[in-house]
Amino acid sequence: MEVAGLYKSFGELEVLKDISLTVAEGEVVVVIGPSGSGKSTLLRCINFLEKSNAGDVTIDGRLIERKEKTINRMRQEVGMVFQHFNLFPHMTVLGNVIEGPIQVRKMKKQEAVLLSEELLEKVGLLDKKDEYPAMLSGGQKQRVAIARALAMKPKVMLFDEPTSALDPELVGEVLGVMKELAREGMTMVVVTHEMGFAREVADRVIFMDDAKIVEEGPPEEVFNSPQNERTQAFLSQIY
Amino acid sequence: MVYDFSVVVEKFPIFVPAAIETLKITAASILFGTVIGLLTSFCRLSKLKVFYLPSTLYITVIRGTPILLQLFIVYYGMVGLVRLDPYPSAVIAFGLHNGAYISEIFRGAIKSIDIGQMEAARSLGMTGFQAMRRIILPQAVKRAVPPLGNQFIIATKDSSLASTIAVRELLLKSQQLGSSTFRPMEYLIIAGIYYLIITTALGYLVHRLERRMAVSDRLG
Ligand SMILES: Nc1ncnc2c1ncn2[C@@H]1O[C@H](COP(=O)(O)OP(=O)(O)O)[C@@H](O)[C@H]1O
Ligand SMILES: [Mg+2]
Repeated sequence: MEVAGLYKSFGELEVLKDISLTVAEGEVVVVIGPSGSGKSTLLRCINFLEKSNAGDVTIDGRLIERKEKTINRMRQEVGMVFQHFNLFPHMTVLGNVIEGPIQVRKMKKQEAVLLSEELLEKVGLLDKKDEYPAMLSGGQKQRVAIARALAMKPKVMLFDEPTSALDPELVGEVLGVMKELAREGMTMVVVTHEMGFAREVADRVIFMDDAKIVEEGPPEEVFNSPQNERTQAFLSQIY
Repeated sequence: MVYDFSVVVEKFPIFVPAAIETLKITAASILFGTVIGLLTSFCRLSKLKVFYLPSTLYITVIRGTPILLQLFIVYYGMVGLVRLDPYPSAVIAFGLHNGAYISEIFRGAIKSIDIGQMEAARSLGMTGFQAMRRIILPQAVKRAVPPLGNQFIIATKDSSLASTIAVRELLLKSQQLGSSTFRPMEYLIIAGIYYLIITTALGYLVHRLERRMAVSDRLG
């Protein structure tokens, strides 16, 4: 996946300035940076939930044209996990997961149920399949949201602060699922403040500040010997 | 005693046809109004001026003028163009009237659904139409049920205005019998009881529906 020369502004406010980023197949990229630096907007521009002012997104060698149809097709390949889960509250856990395959991939219900049960098993929530999201804890909701995204069999997964809305004791179960995914070779772009996760799982860490990529490199480098002073300042605040 | 309330009991059954007429006008205008209301709410939510402006004008006009005026415009005012019978006039006028209010109910309900729902649906690759139909509308309709129920009750009561154009519904029936027998109060009370029965039943049905739809909100 490749992002080239991405620009985005909201009115006067420039949120992304010339962002370019290449993510290799199977690579896990963790994006860190202060609040308001444009991390969410970057993820949202990648799957066109936000329309960038300039720049291209290429996935699996295909340039994504800015046409409704192309974008919809691309979104099937790019899973997104949100900070606030955004599960569909009127559907059961299983209903949430089979929705994409049935509606978008036109999969037969039986087949979608099998696939979804497999994924729920994987995130450890098969026993909750007939519950409604309102009955789940935050950590469980986020694991369902991950299963829902995986049900589309995406090539890339985008995570926007997947554990930021969780009580501390629930963070681990979600990170556990994400680690498992990384181990299986999923291509991932993860915005997070979980530095432990970044150290352990990331192939590369990107530090964003003020609409730009300020520094990037392997986690040891970025965390242990950051070159840029803004990275240093940010990291010293976190620890 | 000026009043003879035994009349109320005795004559109660002869109001059944009038009550059916009231129910028919109400049901038809609610149905018509819901269809118009849903379409109008989409127009109002559209960014395109061709949809947004006419629908906004429609709502402004309906909400800013009396319902009785609207009824008279359809029944008397349109005579130059078409001559409509009382019953269709009432259904058209009340349907248009309710449509404006129902539209605002739907619009509010749709807007109240968290934007994250649309984004989650779109991020799975759903089209805007699919997301609306599968994700947004089911949640919005659920939220719209209480105010819709309220509007349906208002519509029931407003249907009495059709008496002014000689639709043989409850109020007209009670006025006619009341003046011919010199017992207006007794017959007005009969009509009142029928209205109460209808509105209470509607309220109960809406309440039942609300509870049934709340399944997914219930905690363990
Ligand atoms: N839809 C929007 N409209 C206007 N401003 C926005 C919008 N979304 C984000 N912003 C602004 O863009 C900046 C970057 O936001 P965001 O990408 O969410 O940052 P981060 O995820 O790094 O905290 C912030 O200043 C935010 O207020
Ligand atoms: Mg953010």
